[in-house]
Amino acid sequence: MAGSPTDAAGLAERVLAQGPSRYAPWLDRGPHLDLLERRALPELRAEAWRHTNVGRWYETVLDRTVTPASSYRVESPAEVEVVDFADARAAEILQLRGEETYRLSAQPIAAINALLLGAGVAIRVPVGCAPPSPVRIVELPAAYQRVLVIIESDARVELIEEPSIYTHRLVEVVVQPGGQLVHRRHQAASSHRECNLAAVRVEAGAHYELSQLSLGGDLRRNDIVATLAGDGANVTLRGAWRLDESRHLDNQVAVHHRAPGGTSRQTYRGVAADRSRAVLNGRIEIAPGAQQSDATLNTKNLLANDTAEVYAKPELEIYANDVQCSHGATVGAIDDDAVHYFRTRGIDEHKARRLFVRGFLREAIDDPDTAQILGVIQ
Amino acid sequence: MTLLRIEDLHVEVDGKEILAGIDLAVDAGEVHAVMGPNGSGKSTLANVLAGRPGYDVIRGSMTVDGADVSALSPEERSLRGLFLAFQYPVEIPGVSNMEFLKAAVDAHALGRGDEPPSAVDFVKRARVAAGRLQLNPDFLKRGVNDGFSGGEKKRNEILQMLILEPRLAVLDETDSGLDIDGLQVVADGINAFRANTNAVVLVTHYQRLLNYVVPDHVHVLADGRIVHSGDRKLAVELEERGYGWLAN
Repeated sequence: MAGSPTDAAGLAERVLAQGPSRYAPWLDRGPHLDLLERRALPELRAEAWRHTNVGRWYETVLDRTVTPASSYRVESPAEVEVVDFADARAAEILQLRGEETYRLSAQPIAAINALLLGAGVAIRVPVGCAPPSPVRIVELPAAYQRVLVIIESDARVELIEEPSIYTHRLVEVVVQPGGQLVHRRHQAASSHRECNLAAVRVEAGAHYELSQLSLGGDLRRNDIVATLAGDGANVTLRGAWRLDESRHLDNQVAVHHRAPGGTSRQTYRGVAADRSRAVLNGRIEIAPGAQQSDATLNTKNLLANDTAEVYAKPELEIYANDVQCSHGATVGAIDDDAVHYFRTRGIDEHKARRLFVRGFLREAIDDPDTAQILGVIQ
Repeated sequence: MTLLRIEDLHVEVDGKEILAGIDLAVDAGEVHAVMGPNGSGKSTLANVLAGRPGYDVIRGSMTVDGADVSALSPEERSLRGLFLAFQYPVEIPGVSNMEFLKAAVDAHALGRGDEPPSAVDFVKRARVAAGRLQLNPDFLKRGVNDGFSGGEKKRNEILQMLILEPRLAVLDETDSGLDIDGLQVVADGINAFRANTNAVVLVTHYQRLLNYVVPDHVHVLADGRIVHSGDRKLAVELEERGYGWLAN
């Protein structure tokens, strides 16, 4: 069916006609079926899909030519419990999650993930456990994937999502009180149309940190929803992207402060070249009662030439009166003065631009892996 | 031997003539001070020498170490031994001083047909230079000029000069933004750099740096021309009498 335009109602009909997947039969798919029956998938012109043609993704939903990895590879330290999401034990781990980490009505395409789910993993890091090596999700063998991560109280771990191919991946994370998760995602340049949702709930005194490096795709949409649900929760989101050719990256980020004394920090740096398009919508919501919240969002973007497009929009919704909140968004060109400065030291123009861009992206993410990837992509 | 020869240099910026026929010759082993009131063209002279885009040479020539550099890119000029210390050094967050300096040193080594120095040798060299300018070694790990004080930026320019060892160093208002201690440190750096094989052009509005770095020649620039030249006593006289008496 790839190539033919698909609208929301038509897609819902086709998914329903096919029936839900038999993977993880214990999973309650009632709300998801209901959403499709109500034809509540985003319309092609929906505001949340202003910069991404969701119809192009709909075209690929039932496309069986998408070939994700054929093997199932998750590497983890011995202390960490990892089970196939189809396993009955995953249902028990899901119980530990408690309420959902996102609202289905706000993330309707997650319904397609549930109905077409073909692979997944449930990960539990036990109370107080701090393994020395990371949990690494290398490959999951289906187009629709689910990752559930429970960090129990006072546990701390690093989770790495390596580049892989999917049509939709849903990652749900709960960091219980005092726990800590450092979550790294590397998204390689892709010729596919890929959507994902990372939905995170951070409880009292817990920390969640996301470092996301992306090179874009034919269509890539990252939805991130992080909720500071307990007193003094801490969320740090860092994103860096560099797009060229006609690659597309749409980041939709929402940070919800639901409890007092939470801190959230968002830092994004992006570079768009050629005919690429980069989007960052960053929303901060501070609920009534989430007093002494401290939230910042800072995004800077470089346009490498005038055919690339960047859309950067911070949004604030504040319902508490004793909060600190700031945001800044800029879009500009590569700094000619900086390039000239390099050149007067003998560094040629090409290398000067490369160093400048890499330095710019490192303001958001600065770890050796990232430096290496950013180095490779010039 | 003449390291810099400028002849009848006319320069336009945005179609407006800023330099209207400069002649200047600087020999190896010499320090020349170029002074003058604001808007006289001092910084334009420094920038056009370094090859800043937008500074158009309409007439005349600039020769560094025997080669006309007018048509060369900024990086080629640097590799031929020209160095400009910027009046306003550029902040480059995310690129460490160390990385920046290593890229510059490597480019110079490759330009000479040499192997770039090893990381260990380079770090040693950078630490020695930083110590000479009383800069904490941590300074090398920080982003280039990122969040530096005015004085630190100027010391960083001199640090780069000491490491790149140019034949001709043009220092554009390196004394501005420095306190007395900073001025002394920067002057010590410049004096340590001075040698029979290189030359320095100090572009400055005030003569105070010249108390520490004693020039062999002093030139006064007004309306895009050198209107007066003399020895170091001219600088002292300018400090007392201002620039007005030279204008006509």
